[in-house]
Amino acid sequence: MEPVTLTLMIGVGLAGAIAFIAGIIEDAESDAGSSSNPNSQVQLAPQIGHIITYYDKAIAGEPPQNGLWAAAACTIALLLSWRFADLGMGQYYAIFFAAVAGAAVTALVQGCLGIFAHISRITSMAAFKQPLYWHALLTPLPYSMGLCFLTALLLTLLSFVASGILGNSFAPPLIALFMGITLGSIASGTGDIHYGAERLYQHLPFGSGIAISNQGDIDLKGEYGFRNSVDTPYFCMRFGGTITALAFGLLIFLDGWSRLFTFAGPWTSIILEAAIIAVLFIFLNRLEKYTRDSYGPYPGQEDA
Amino acid sequence: MDPITGMIGIIIGGIIVGICVHFIPASAVGAMSASTGIATGPSMLSTGCGLAGLYAAGYMIGESLPLVVLSGAMGSALMIICTMLLANTICAFGTGVAPVAGSYDKDPITGWRQKPFMSPGTDGHSMPTTTALSGIIGALLGGAGGSLVFVSVYEMISPILESTTAVTIAGMVGAGVFLINCVIPAYVLVGKSEGMTDKKMKLMHKTFVSCLIVSVITAVFVYASVVVI
Repeated sequence: MEPVTLTLMIGVGLAGAIAFIAGIIEDAESDAGSSSNPNSQVQLAPQIGHIITYYDKAIAGEPPQNGLWAAAACTIALLLSWRFADLGMGQYYAIFFAAVAGAAVTALVQGCLGIFAHISRITSMAAFKQPLYWHALLTPLPYSMGLCFLTALLLTLLSFVASGILGNSFAPPLIALFMGITLGSIASGTGDIHYGAERLYQHLPFGSGIAISNQGDIDLKGEYGFRNSVDTPYFCMRFGGTITALAFGLLIFLDGWSRLFTFAGPWTSIILEAAIIAVLFIFLNRLEKYTRDSYGPYPGQEDA
Repeated sequence: MDPITGMIGIIIGGIIVGICVHFIPASAVGAMSASTGIATGPSMLSTGCGLAGLYAAGYMIGESLPLVVLSGAMGSALMIICTMLLANTICAFGTGVAPVAGSYDKDPITGWRQKPFMSPGTDGHSMPTTTALSGIIGALLGGAGGSLVFVSVYEMISPILESTTAVTIAGMVGAGVFLINCVIPAYVLVGKSEGMTDKKMKLMHKTFVSCLIVSVITAVFVYASVVVI
């Protein structure tokens, strides 16, 4: 096997693995901070008389917020890695330690944003008698910052892998911005359904979307005591987070995998990606058939 | 590529980026399985999938124009199909609902009835086959449009800048066009779209005009910075 191909294969596997783990962590980070679409339910709850103890830092959409963390961490990492290399450190050590430093700075910024966002969100609900509980902020805050640190670190490393090993022509911080926004959209579009439609409404029967009339009537009790935002990823990471990770990991892995072959020259990756899209579309159709056959129509709506 | 052709490329690409948002099924209420579409805002989802297309196009820069544009389109479509397939998986096994569209009663492709499978009090959930196909068409358009902007800017500035700098600046302009032109249709879609079967498709001319104006401004700005400055 050509050494170049072997290096590329290792790069594709590494990028896919990093993307997979980043997907789990990012979804957990957004769930811990209620920072995506289900935050509307968390904000509705006090308006219908529920006093909540959720951590709510949703003052920006998940994709741009995540893109910002990734791009900031990667920019700091790139600058520091040049400095570390000037000081005589090996290239790979320089990148790794610089990525850790970049992610740490980002986590601190995220913590600051989280504190002020939560306080402003909760105080805006004062008209509905919602108190500002410090434990609801201080318990999940370090957890959320830790998840942000890991997401930023992984996306920074992914950007360096895509730029350095896979040969993407963009600079690493720009790749980090792209990957951050893309991962934010994927996590927002997949993992959040498990949080918004299941975790927040576990008292409602399984097997139904949340009717508009029930929205805001979220669960207030956790496995023990009042539910806080540390409990959320504990539940969602096992299915919603993993599925999010699969979506992002598949995207990065299949995109890289399609570039390993050269049977049709530069058109190879396009042909392979078109074939992958067709296969995944057939899977989607079969899944629809399976769910329709398994669950059947809702009682009383057979002839609707 | 001469600057005038580059400008036309930016304008056409920008308009396609705006149009693509109409095809992508997305709804914030989808996060509660209460509406058909991917569970996030159409604008940000389109931006996410378009940037995945730009990332894919980044591997192809230096090749011919159709290759870069198609690579971007495929990268974008790959992102949207992964997201839709796995979102349907969460709906199927995480919340226990089948994909149902609110905008049509019989799926035009499969012929399957939708209404009996819709949970009471909701407007549908996840993406049935036709809605998913609409998402793929939208992503193909978005990725192609974004890549066209990217490659047009790159071709305009590459004669006067170093190659890596030109790629990065072109990528930033491409990403900027997504962040602007994908948000403009939000005023028409108001947070929810079921793709090509949605009635809001009839309002596409508004998106077209507004994206044309914005893209002309962007193109003139890039032209000015390349030729005049």
